[in-house]
Amino acid sequence: MLRHPLPTLLTSACLAALLPHAALAADPIKIGVIAEAQAVAGSSIAPAAQLAADEINAKGGVNGRKIEVVVYDNHSSAAESVRAFQRAVNEDKVNAVIASYISEVVLALEPWAARLKTVMITPGAASDVITQNIAKDYEHNKYTFHGYLTSSALAGLVCDAGKDLLVDGSKMKSAVIVSEDAAWTTPLDAGYEQCLPKIGLKVLDHIRFSPDTTDFTPIFNKIEGEKPDVMITGISHVGTQPTVQWKSQQVPIAMFGISSQATNSTFWKDTNGATDGVLYQAVSGPGVAVTAKTLPFVDAFQKKYGNLPSYAGYTAYDDVYIIADAARRAGSTDSDKLVDAMEKTDYVGTIGRVAFKPKGDPNVHGLKTGNGYITGLMLQWQDGKQVNVWPKNLASGKMKFPAFIKVQ
Amino acid sequence: MAPPSWLRSRPVVAGLVILALGACVPLVGSGYVLGLLTVAFYTAVFAMAWDLLFGFAGEVNFGPTFLIGLGAYTAGILDARLAPNVSLWLCVLAGAAAAVIGGVVLALPALRVRGPYFGLTTLVAVLMLQNMVVVFADLTGGEIGLSVPDVMSVSATANYWIAFGFMAVSGAILYGLSRSPIGLVLQASGQDPVQAGALGFNVTKHKLFAFVVSAFFSGLAGALMVFYMGTASVGTFVDISVGVQIIVAAVLGGRRTVIGAAIGAVFLIAMGEALRPLGELATLIVSLLALLVVLFFPDGILGMLQGRSRRD
Amino acid sequence: MLAWQILIDGFAIGSLYALGATGFTLIFGVSGVLNLSHGAIMVAAAVAAWALAGLAGAGPWAAALGGIAIGVALATLTYFVTVRPIQRSPRVAEAEKEIFILTATLLWGIIISEAIAYLFTNNAKTVLPIVEGVVGWFGVRTPANEYFTAAVCWIAIGLLWLLVNRTRHGKALLAASMNPRGVTLLGIELSRIHLAVWLIYGVLASVAGILLGMFLGVSSYSVGPLTASAFSIVVLGGLGSVSGSLIAAYVVGYLETATAYLISPAYRTIPALLLLVVVMYLRPQGLFGRR
Repeated sequence: MLRHPLPTLLTSACLAALLPHAALAADPIKIGVIAEAQAVAGSSIAPAAQLAADEINAKGGVNGRKIEVVVYDNHSSAAESVRAFQRAVNEDKVNAVIASYISEVVLALEPWAARLKTVMITPGAASDVITQNIAKDYEHNKYTFHGYLTSSALAGLVCDAGKDLLVDGSKMKSAVIVSEDAAWTTPLDAGYEQCLPKIGLKVLDHIRFSPDTTDFTPIFNKIEGEKPDVMITGISHVGTQPTVQWKSQQVPIAMFGISSQATNSTFWKDTNGATDGVLYQAVSGPGVAVTAKTLPFVDAFQKKYGNLPSYAGYTAYDDVYIIADAARRAGSTDSDKLVDAMEKTDYVGTIGRVAFKPKGDPNVHGLKTGNGYITGLMLQWQDGKQVNVWPKNLASGKMKFPAFIKVQ
Repeated sequence: MAPPSWLRSRPVVAGLVILALGACVPLVGSGYVLGLLTVAFYTAVFAMAWDLLFGFAGEVNFGPTFLIGLGAYTAGILDARLAPNVSLWLCVLAGAAAAVIGGVVLALPALRVRGPYFGLTTLVAVLMLQNMVVVFADLTGGEIGLSVPDVMSVSATANYWIAFGFMAVSGAILYGLSRSPIGLVLQASGQDPVQAGALGFNVTKHKLFAFVVSAFFSGLAGALMVFYMGTASVGTFVDISVGVQIIVAAVLGGRRTVIGAAIGAVFLIAMGEALRPLGELATLIVSLLALLVVLFFPDGILGMLQGRSRRD
Repeated sequence: MLAWQILIDGFAIGSLYALGATGFTLIFGVSGVLNLSHGAIMVAAAVAAWALAGLAGAGPWAAALGGIAIGVALATLTYFVTVRPIQRSPRVAEAEKEIFILTATLLWGIIISEAIAYLFTNNAKTVLPIVEGVVGWFGVRTPANEYFTAAVCWIAIGLLWLLVNRTRHGKALLAASMNPRGVTLLGIELSRIHLAVWLIYGVLASVAGILLGMFLGVSSYSVGPLTASAFSIVVLGGLGSVSGSLIAAYVVGYLETATAYLISPAYRTIPALLLLVVVMYLRPQGLFGRR
């Protein structure tokens, strides 16, 4: 879509005259990246964004403008993130922000994105409240975009995978939902309770444990007593501990569902191999070519940084491209125009085809999921490797379990 | 006519200098600097309130965040549930009131014990509040926090002046209290409760008073900060790490000076920001610096400014 | 049998708490210090053991010993960096020393925990287990590790008891906790006693940390809760009373375990907290406190 050159020329000339320090028409598009550098999931966000920026710049940038990534480490703190956001917008004059994988942080930033009228997209948080807030007050909160899957969407995708793998594949009939008692799991569990019976798994029990639990023995004993065929999980704050104890206790029931820490490539080492057989939902996996862009990204990331990206790296990489694409279509980095352009996003990224839910949807600005859009994957740790087992067309292996698990 | 002696005392001079500097910031500072100092000023009030209680009443208090959290969440929940029928200022007052009630409830068992037992009681209060916030997640938003619909202002400058004014007034009141007869009794009972009691002062009543004052300012500051940030979350208001920051700020600035606590808070937050480019190592370096100050300059920053050890 | 499950699980957790609390109370009893970097030392030892196994390829015993060495080194450093300078400082008034040491150990703990997060990220780690597999005693399938943990804790506590009550050095330690001046009159150097206590503390805390790492797993997030829990247990039992700490540790361990089994895992920590509140209100000096 072409803009009439004259207004742009006039505006640039005026701006150039008024702002003596600004470079002329080629001033960069600045993207602020606020992330948790010490957390395994968050540590990939900034490097992935930088990689995307470098690639875009190598091809000439956006409408002649280079992308500049400005990084802020928020130490996993919401208060620090707010300060970083203020600094990014007020001092460093960023045009858009990519922020965090922690729901608490994103929710703290959402009102600031509204106040400072700056586009913000999250590469990793899962809380439904993020998009619900946008639906509640669209005019103010429209600047926020949810670049990852909401808890309710995740539940749906886990059920989709469960139908093929557990019910059709292993003829399972019953399940126990086990998740950490946290705000993000409330919609997740509600989603599970709804969709699991629909795919043919009877929910025998629903256990929520305190997020600072360190001793999982009572929980596993209780679950074992109920004799389900599978445990459907919702864990993120904990991961290593329940997994290690699951193995050392030799609980004969498989774990399937959301286990954020299991997505980390270091998880095998962290658990000394106890994660063998754990099935976890993800939007990416090593060697899985979700789209044509996935593996080239992973290779480039590994070549540049020496390790594999976390899930939030994939989405952060896509987010830079999405912002750049929107800026190109809008011909401007004006926030309102960016918002309009981003709403029209139809971009094939590394995790699938990205499009945002429109105004009017209860999860407005969330990702569209399902066939043709984002379906996610279901991976399993097998012999030290993360193997994709679903969907079938992307699977590189079949489900297999360690000896202590009883599966038909 | 010579200025009265209290005006010439070091903490007051330091305080006035800071205030004068602070008043100039909006003229030259960007929105970012204003935002940073706004949070620093609220933290300064947290620290000053803590110093009054600990510095003077002599009680190690691990739970400033119990009072702050009560104030912040009460105000936040009321606003989230009742807006637009209730003005946010009413919520703020409600928050302060809740903190005072909480302070009294905490003081009752806490004042019957001394030293580490007192510390533990306050710690337990914080842990209980944290658990309650998570358990009653529908009300409080759980660990991801609560968004409030109202904010005091969207202008960085307006928010700055509100925080600045609040800090100045609170500081004046708290410092004034510390120098008043009540404050002196508190100090005496903190250093030698037996003697203070023997002199006829009701030590418990004075400590309770210190509790109430500390609670009021903590809760008020907490509530105001909620309406500045637009959200309340455990990590920002209740978590023990916030309490640690407050304790460090007060000790760093100089205990029992009230003003010192404010200086310490601003210093800590400014340092944390200045070291931001170092990314992950920032907290480590700030803690290291704080440790060095504690080891080599026990009178804190204010003490350093005065050049030599203070004798009380 | 549910009862046996609760019994053994609670015992393992209680033993871990007991080991950690004993070290904490020892330092308070002899040095008069509430060491708020306790959790950090425990986690550091565990992470060191994990790192030695994972990155240097050490076997489980070697990694554990390495972890203990590092923990002891850190504990001794804690003494020399935070405690001794303040105790000897002429610039800090006597009455103030406690709060300064408290703050210093707090900061030191933060430094250690930030260093761990920086070097190894804050992901939870588990230490390579020395004992693997499950045993099926009393009709209950339990990880052998749990029995191992309980056994090691009691061996450590037993050795400590022997040291304090049967050896000359140990008796000097005990004497020092009761009457420091008297001990110097007998010609025993106080500073050596302090050093000895911190060394012993280092061993206790490291073993507790490594066992915790094997059994449950640790991360830099565990640091705060571990210190808070040791502190709570020690005060609950009564500061200065080792037997009090032991009993309190099992009380808290069983309360948590029973709650998780019988009521709900979501409310695991609440009854223990409520107990603390009640005890603080009714018997503020703790169950067996002497002061």
